[in-house]
Amino acid sequence: MLRDIPDLEGILTKTIDRRAVLRALIVLVLAAGAVTAMSLLGSSAVAATSEVAAIAAPTDAAAAATSIAPTEAEPIDTTAATSPGSNRVVQTLVNGIVFGLLLALASVGVSLIYGTTGLSNFAHGEQVTLGALLTYFFTTQQEVSLPLIPVSFTIGWPLIPSAIVAIALCAGTGWIQDKFLWSPLRRRKVTIVQQMIVSIGLSLAMLNFIQWWFGAQRVRLTIISDERIDMGVFDIGQITLLSVVISLLCLAGVGYFLLRTRLGRATRAVSDNPALASASGIRVDGVVRLVWVMATGLAAVGGILLALYDSGTAFDVGARLLLLMFAAVTLGGLGQAFGALVGSLVVGISVEMSTLWIGTDLKYAVALAILILVLLLRPQGILGRAERVG
Amino acid sequence: MEILLDALAEVFAPTTAAFAIAAIGLNFHFGLTGLLNMGVAGFMLVGMYGYAITTQNGAPIWLAIIVACAAAATFAVILGWPTLKLRGDYLAIATIAAAELVRYLGRSQSLQPLTGGSTGIRGNEFKFTFEALSPFPNENITILFWTYHGTLSSSWWLRVVAWLLVALFAFTFWQLARSPWGRVLKGIREDEDAVRSLGKNVYSYKMQALVIGGVICAFGGVVWALGNSVQPDSMGRPTTFWIWTLLLLGGAATVFGPILGSILFWVSLVVVRQVASSVIPDTWLSPIELEPFSLVLVGITLMCLVIFRPQGVLGNKRELALNG
Amino acid sequence: MADNPFASVPHEPGAPKPDAIVKADHVHRHFGGLTAVDVEHFEVQRHAITALIGPNGAGKSTFFNLLTGFDKPQTGEWQFNGHSLVGTSPAKVARAGKVRTFQLTKALNRMTVIENMRLGAADQGGENFFKALVPPTWRTREKDITVRAEALLKRFKLWEKRDDYAGSLSGGQRKLLEMARALMSEPEMIMLDEPMAGVNPALTESLLDHIVELKNEGVTVLFVEHDMHMVRRISDWVVVMAEGRIIAEGPPDTVMSNPAVQDAYLGAHHDTDLSEIDATEEGK
Repeated sequence: MLRDIPDLEGILTKTIDRRAVLRALIVLVLAAGAVTAMSLLGSSAVAATSEVAAIAAPTDAAAAATSIAPTEAEPIDTTAATSPGSNRVVQTLVNGIVFGLLLALASVGVSLIYGTTGLSNFAHGEQVTLGALLTYFFTTQQEVSLPLIPVSFTIGWPLIPSAIVAIALCAGTGWIQDKFLWSPLRRRKVTIVQQMIVSIGLSLAMLNFIQWWFGAQRVRLTIISDERIDMGVFDIGQITLLSVVISLLCLAGVGYFLLRTRLGRATRAVSDNPALASASGIRVDGVVRLVWVMATGLAAVGGILLALYDSGTAFDVGARLLLLMFAAVTLGGLGQAFGALVGSLVVGISVEMSTLWIGTDLKYAVALAILILVLLLRPQGILGRAERVG
Repeated sequence: MEILLDALAEVFAPTTAAFAIAAIGLNFHFGLTGLLNMGVAGFMLVGMYGYAITTQNGAPIWLAIIVACAAAATFAVILGWPTLKLRGDYLAIATIAAAELVRYLGRSQSLQPLTGGSTGIRGNEFKFTFEALSPFPNENITILFWTYHGTLSSSWWLRVVAWLLVALFAFTFWQLARSPWGRVLKGIREDEDAVRSLGKNVYSYKMQALVIGGVICAFGGVVWALGNSVQPDSMGRPTTFWIWTLLLLGGAATVFGPILGSILFWVSLVVVRQVASSVIPDTWLSPIELEPFSLVLVGITLMCLVIFRPQGVLGNKRELALNG
Repeated sequence: MADNPFASVPHEPGAPKPDAIVKADHVHRHFGGLTAVDVEHFEVQRHAITALIGPNGAGKSTFFNLLTGFDKPQTGEWQFNGHSLVGTSPAKVARAGKVRTFQLTKALNRMTVIENMRLGAADQGGENFFKALVPPTWRTREKDITVRAEALLKRFKLWEKRDDYAGSLSGGQRKLLEMARALMSEPEMIMLDEPMAGVNPALTESLLDHIVELKNEGVTVLFVEHDMHMVRRISDWVVVMAEGRIIAEGPPDTVMSNPAVQDAYLGAHHDTDLSEIDATEEGK
C-alpha cells in the first residue's frame, strides 16, 4: 500500500518570491513595448498563410550545411484550410482545443518520461514525426524505399492498418531506446545533464535520418479531403472530428491507466518518488520501460492525427512541435501527466486565439512567450511541486 | 587528392572560424561556468542583425560592431536576469525558447522592413563597409592550391580577419580562464552554494559569463554573416547543437578545444560527404541525401562523445567528467 | 584565558553572554504546518567554542542555514558584531566575517586542492572581470594568497595533495579541505555543520586539535555535532535544541544531566547512557 507523502513543500509554492515576479513583470513590459514598437515600424499584421523562404545562395559548400530545410513555416498551419465559421472567436477556440488535444498526445509522453526518469527528452519531436512518416511509408501509393537500399517498392496498405503498424513500430523504438540506451545510462549513473545532451544528439541523428529516408518534401497520408461540417458558430472537418474523438479516447485511456490500474498507480508512484517506490517493491525498471513504450506510442498517434489534421506532414513537423510540447509540459508541471493535458490545451487555445489580435506568423511566438513566462514565474507549473526546480 | 584539398580548405574557411568563435563564447558559458546555453544561435543571430541593420542604415563599421556587441549583451542580460536562478535543464529550455523567439521574430512578416523577414538581409546591403577595408586586390587570387576572391564575401580578407579574431578570443579565454575571475566561475560550475559560502556573488558572476560569452558568440555570428548572409533560418536549433558538438569534440574548458573542434567538425563533414559520394553508389545514396546522411553521423558523434569521452580530444578527463 | 567568560552566565535557554558576537531574536521558520525552528533568543560568546546539539530533526541545520543566509525565516532578527544580517545573502554574510562548512562536504571536486584554497581568499582584485584581464594587477595578491593557502594546507596535513583534484581525496580529507578553505578569508566566526560526520577515528583527534587551535587564534566557533565525546572534549558551552526550540544551555559537563535534555533524547535512546551516544549511532 502506498501512502501519500505529505506535501510540505507544496505550501511553499503559494508564497511567490516578490522579487522574481517584479523582475518578470518588468521584462514582460519591456518586451511587450519592444514588440509593439517594432510592429508599428513594420506593416500591420497580415494573416500570411504561405511563406516562401528563399535560401541565399551559399558561396561554399559549408554554408549549405547550416540550413536545415527548404521551408520553415510555423509548426502547424491551421488557418489555411479553415474557412471561418460564423464566429471567429468560437472558431479559433475550437481550433485551439483541437490542436491542444493533438499536442497533448505528444506531450503526455514527455511528461511521463520526465516524471519517472528526470530526463528532458529532446528527441520526442522526432518520435511524433516518425509515427506520421512510417504511416506514410506503409500507406502511400507512391514508391518508397529504405535508406541505402537501392530498391523501391510500393506497399500501399489502407490507412488504418498502416497506422496501427506504424504505432506499434514506434512503440517498439521506445522499448529499444530504453533497453539499449537509457537504461544502461541510468545504471552507469550518468547525470541528467549528460543524458539530456545525449537526447539532443539522438534528436539530431533521428531528424537527419528521417530527412535522409523520406526527403524534405511535404507528403500527405491520405488524399481524402477533410469535408467541413458546419456547426453554426464554427465549422470542423470530418476527419478532424474523428481525430478529436480518437485523441480523447487515447487520453481517456491513459487517464484510466494511471488512475485505476495497479500498474498505472505504480507509474505515478515512481513519478512521485522513485526511491520510495522501489523500496515499496515496485519494479522501477519495468515501469520505466512501459513508460517509454507508451510515450513513444502516444507520440506516434499524435503525429498521425496531426498529419491528418494538417493535410500533410514532413520530416521536421515534430522538431517544430518540440518547443510547444515543452511549453505545454512546463506549464502543466513537468512530470505531471494530467498537467501535460492541461498545459497542451492552454497552449493550443492561446496560440490559436492569439491570431485574433496578432498576425498568424507570430502565433508560435505566443507559445514561446508562455514557456518563458512559466519558467520565470512558476517553474513547477500549475500542478507541479517546487522542489524539482531550484 | 581533391578530397584532401577540399578538406584542407575547410581548415581555414571563414565558416570554420565563425563557429570556432561561437564555440569559444559557449566555452565561457558551459566550459567555465557550467551554464547550459542552448540558445547559442540566438546570440549569433542578434549579433548579425545588430551589425547588418546598423550598416544598412549608413553607419560606419566600428559603430556596427559596437551595436552588435551591445545587442548581444542586452540579450544576455534580459535572458539571464530572470533565468540564471533556474536549474540546469530549465535554463536549457529557456535559452532554446529565447533563441527560437529571436529567430521567429526575425523571420516574421511584421518585422520585415527591419529584418528582411524570412529572406533576411542580403550581402550587398551590409558587407560593403567590411569589404572596403580590404587590402587585397579586388579579384580572384590563388594562393597555393586555393582560389578565392580577394575582397568580396567569403574572401581572403575575411579569412585573415576571421582567424585573427579566433586568435584574439582564444587568447582572451586563456587569460580569463586562469585568472581569479575564471577560478570563481569554475567554482560555480562545481557547486554554487560552496562559492556563496566563500563570499562571492554567484548570480553576478554567472551574468558576467553570460554576457562575455554572448558577445563573443555575436562576433561569431557577424563573421559568419560576412561570408554568407543574414538569414534567420540558418541560425536555428541545429546550429546551436552543432556548436555544442564541436565544443565537446574539441574539449570543453580548454583554450584550443573550440578551434580544434570546429576544424575537425567541418573537415569531417566534407570528408564524409566526399568519401560517401565516391564510395557509395548514387542509387544507394543520392547526392541530396549526402547532407542529412553526414548530419546523422554528427548526431551519433555527439551521443558517443557525451557517453564515452565527454572531455573530447583535448580535455582533461578528471576535470571534465560530466558526472559532477 | 584566565577568566571563564561563562562563569556568570545562567544555565538557561537564551542566556545572554558577556560578549556576544551573534545575537538572535524570535527566529521562526516553518515549512507548511511543520515548525522547523522557533528560537526566542540566542547568543554566541565571542572567542569561544559553542556546541549546538540535539536529536535528529531538532532544527539545528535549519538554524545554521538561517544564520548564514542560506535560508530565510518567516520572522526573526539577528546581528553579527552589532550589524543586522537579516535578509543578507549568503555571500555577504561570509564577507562580513561569518563563514560556514556544510554537512555534505562541498569540496570543489574538479578543481585542485590549491585552487580550492585560493578560491576561499577574500580581496583578490583579480576576481573582478576587468582586472582579470590585466595580470599585473593581481599577481602580487595571488602570491600572498598562495603563501597563506600553503601554510594552512601544511597545518591541516594536506600539503602533499596540493596539486591533486579535490575529488580524489578521501571523505575525511575533503572535510579538512573545506575547513581549511573556510579559514582562508580570516573569518571572525566559523560555523561547522557536523565536522565529524563520516570522519574516521584517526582523523577525529587531529580535527579536534585544529578546532581548539582556531579558538586560540581568536576565531569564534559554533558547531553542530552528534558526537558527545567531541562536544565534551572541546566545547566551552553547549546549546541544546529539540523540536526547533532551545531547551537548555550550559557547560558541557552539566548540560547532559539536565532533565529537559534527557527527555529530548529519551525518545531515541531511553536505555542508553547519554554519554555513550556518538556519531556512529546517531549521525547519518
